[in-house]
Amino acid sequence: MKQLLFILLINTLLLSCEDVIQVDLETAETRMVIDASLNWEKGTNGNMQQIKLSLTAPFFDDNIPPATGAIVTVTDTNNNTFNFIEDGTTGIYNNNMFIPVINGEYTLSIIYENDRYLATETLKPVTPIEFIEQKNDGGFAGDEIEIKAFYTDPKDIENFYLFEFRKPALNTINLEVYDDEFTDGNQIFAFYSDENLSSGDLLEIISYGISSRTYNYLNILLQQTDNESGDPFEAQPATVRGNCINVTNPNNYPLGYFRVSETHIFSYVVD
Amino acid sequence: MKHLVFWAATALFFCNLSLNAQEKFTLSGIISEEKSNETLIGVNIIFPETGSGTTTNAYGFYSITLPKGTYSVIVSYLGYTTITETIELNSDITKHISLVESLENLDTVIITENIEKLSIKNPQMSVNTLTSSTIKDIPVVLGEADIIKAITLLPGVTNAGEASSGFNVRGGSADQNLILLDEATIYNSSHLFGFFSVFNPDAIKDLRLFKGGIPARYGGRVSSVLDIYQKEGNSKAFHLNGGIGIVASRLLAEGPIEKDKGSFLFGGRSSYAHLFLPLFDINNIAYFYDLNTKLSYKLNDRNNIYLSGYFGRDVFRIEDSFENTYGNSVLNFRWNHLFSDKLFSNLSLIYSDYYYNLKLSFVEFDWISGIQNFNIKYDLKHYLNDTFKLQYGLNSIYYKFNPGEINPTVETSGINPFKLIDKYAFENALYVDAEHKVSDKLALSYGLRFSSFFRLGQDELNVYANNQPVVFNEDFQIYEKANPTDTEAFKRSDVIAKFFNLEPRFSAAYQINSNSSVKGSYNRMSQYLHLLSNTNSPTPLDVWTPSGKYVKPQLLDQYALGYFKNFKNDVYSLEIETFYKTIKNRIDYIDGADLIANNAIEQVILNGKARAYGLEFLLRKNKGRFKGWLAYTLSKSEQQTTGRTPNELGINNGNWYNTPYDKTHDISLTGSFKLNDKWEINSNFLFQTGQPATFPNGQYVYNGINIPNYGARNKNRLPAYNRLDVSLKYQPKQSENKRWKSHWVFGVYNIYNRKNATSINFSQSKTTGSNEATRLSIFGIVPSISYNFKL
Repeated sequence: MKQLLFILLINTLLLSCEDVIQVDLETAETRMVIDASLNWEKGTNGNMQQIKLSLTAPFFDDNIPPATGAIVTVTDTNNNTFNFIEDGTTGIYNNNMFIPVINGEYTLSIIYENDRYLATETLKPVTPIEFIEQKNDGGFAGDEIEIKAFYTDPKDIENFYLFEFRKPALNTINLEVYDDEFTDGNQIFAFYSDENLSSGDLLEIISYGISSRTYNYLNILLQQTDNESGDPFEAQPATVRGNCINVTNPNNYPLGYFRVSETHIFSYVVD
Repeated sequence: MKHLVFWAATALFFCNLSLNAQEKFTLSGIISEEKSNETLIGVNIIFPETGSGTTTNAYGFYSITLPKGTYSVIVSYLGYTTITETIELNSDITKHISLVESLENLDTVIITENIEKLSIKNPQMSVNTLTSSTIKDIPVVLGEADIIKAITLLPGVTNAGEASSGFNVRGGSADQNLILLDEATIYNSSHLFGFFSVFNPDAIKDLRLFKGGIPARYGGRVSSVLDIYQKEGNSKAFHLNGGIGIVASRLLAEGPIEKDKGSFLFGGRSSYAHLFLPLFDINNIAYFYDLNTKLSYKLNDRNNIYLSGYFGRDVFRIEDSFENTYGNSVLNFRWNHLFSDKLFSNLSLIYSDYYYNLKLSFVEFDWISGIQNFNIKYDLKHYLNDTFKLQYGLNSIYYKFNPGEINPTVETSGINPFKLIDKYAFENALYVDAEHKVSDKLALSYGLRFSSFFRLGQDELNVYANNQPVVFNEDFQIYEKANPTDTEAFKRSDVIAKFFNLEPRFSAAYQINSNSSVKGSYNRMSQYLHLLSNTNSPTPLDVWTPSGKYVKPQLLDQYALGYFKNFKNDVYSLEIETFYKTIKNRIDYIDGADLIANNAIEQVILNGKARAYGLEFLLRKNKGRFKGWLAYTLSKSEQQTTGRTPNELGINNGNWYNTPYDKTHDISLTGSFKLNDKWEINSNFLFQTGQPATFPNGQYVYNGINIPNYGARNKNRLPAYNRLDVSLKYQPKQSENKRWKSHWVFGVYNIYNRKNATSINFSQSKTTGSNEATRLSIFGIVPSISYNFKL
């Protein structure tokens, strides 16, 4: 919100200027990055799952090194163990036997270079996206397309949502998180505005049910990756710690997150 | 330490009272400007034979008591013709004095306090005074004279970048400044996010900024006091003055209600740049306005009353989707009463509020928050004799905080109406302050403020296990909100939490010779209100929260030492000061803290501490065709929040980190040069160490997006900041008798068009997909023009 005000003001005064500059940055020691999101799309059996492991890289590098050769397993509370097998040396680990259960608890275990990483998360259900509203003269300059994806929040229980607005043609992703503190039990919408959207474009809108902790994590993460981060109205950035811990060597903590969600995908063609 | 100061003060006080043997008489009165009857603050009244003297107070009143005798008296005020008179003091004398503006010195007023010899003797240190005309001469962006921008050119004063609200004094945060406009507290000093301040320079008579050695009559904020006085209005003749600039225009009318007795002042200011936006087919609106009013009436020689008001608003509107309005309002009634020619009193009854409204039609809700307070102040100044003055008084403030209220804007909105729980508090203080001239060489000022704060009952308050609203998750090494175990309900008359603090203040001046002195000071202060802001610079949206069960008051201890010298016949003056200060209970925020619309703010804050130290250097040339100052500050400002137990990480791993306004070197050079009767050139040059920032130390990919990974907080710095501004003032030849007087100001801000970074943003390029660093610079070269007139 604050960034929004700031941008408005700057634009109104027509005085600011943005340019890309060279900055010398230090690089911290390499850490393990766990990108483990198990998604159960409504109406599917949810057997096929993927976990990506990689390493941190210098900020301006174009290549992100994969973390290969790890042993990756997910276990549930019914003593099922799902082994994730690496695809070559890509750092991408797959399993096609996964059994999703709403509110089921899952534990992720990774052994990589003698360190063991653990994380536990609950599969959160999600309410479906019902319909989309489109407005063609949105944004500050009136030249953006605004999309509202409506859903109905279940009453009297705390819910948290992750929304992904994906443009497959451009391979761009926009993430938003919502809670229901002020919208409990109501029909409400996720909001997305884009000046590069045009009629005929395909937009994939995906909602994920997430836990309170996941909401907090993503909320901080998104603030720091936001294009507007670093302006005077932004909170001070810091390392974002997720829910995965290194049990062998706690100081060598990993980045990333282990999330398990029910999801709903809504494909929308822009009018 | 505290006890020592207290007993020393008491002892000095009593030893003083016993010294009254000889027959003494009092000379007192009001000093005002001859043409308008506007009272003058800080005029020196000097008795050269005895070396004694006094200055006028904020209401133009002076009083001095001396042994019977014949004295010559010098009344001097920079920019005014000095009066020398002989006075036969064989009875109490009331003498009102009018000063005449000296023509050759017109518009030459630079910082006035501290340049007269008397100020070398005065124990008050770390204070700067600016007059309205000084402020108007400083070149500024877009040509709008600005009080806050002017004070940031002084040593020890800075801000968190070009587009930041407020100002920072000696490494303190912006919410630690007590900003008083005619004795009323102003909560937000900025228009348009800090591009302008809320004070209309035309309506301002005088301001002083206390950075240290703060007298006991001030309290409630720990870093500084900015005490601003509005003009009373001309009680002799009607006058109009104003200015037209590229962004805003001003108009101020003043005149008598009853000649020589009552006067009015009415000033308005508004920006109008938004009026041109439709020409560019932009339907967005951003503007501000403010109104200053004052009515003054002299009931008789012993009683004066004043009614003053301020009302200011900022308005932003984007199409139909967004509307934002906020601002301060102040209403203030004051009564000056002279009990005797030695005892001056002022009673102030003040209402002030801050209002914030945000209407977000595109997400269908409306947000209102604010703070209201009722304030009563009673201040007395007792001019006991020429070596001893006593000030004492009391102050009570009742606060009501509205942390926020959400309402749906349309019936179909998915937002439920929600009202955050209102908070109430009552702040009280009693103080006594002595100015004591111990000998010709040594002068002391010592005082004590006893402050108390009562957090009053509110509808609901959370209760937590172990009284800990924030818990540390040792597995993930992060701070998390604790779940309340219960809630408590209170009556409005209940006291949820109470705090009492004794705040000793002490300063001393020792005169080395007629031109130089050393001064030292110590002050302890407490602050019971906190502005919740986890950004580099406060924003208008930020809400204030009172101390209470979970939030402790901030406590400051500050020590300062200084050397002061006038030389070359007072043409130059030099001030060197060093300070060290520590603040306890400085609020810090857990990662991801939500500060807006949060009913349980205690769940996201931790108590930390802050410290700052530095060296300030100020060299001024006060007279002549060329005038100006060079200010240099070398300082450090840091804060630290350690874990509450050894197992906790703290903020930034418990390490000290730079505050966003920590600038190691801060140089400003401000000068004006009178070319001839028509032209004057004004200029300032600034150089500052780059602001602290946190840069990424790596990147990773999560969920398909590039994430910069950040390390230690504020470890990096933006590139050094520097800029040169120049303005030319042109005063067409004007005949003495003509009433209409005018001048033009042509200005250029940032003349060499340096792209100073306001921030550097690290993110993934939308076009290439690679990571990049983007610099945001707000003001390149900005020309301006304004026309100012006086009728």
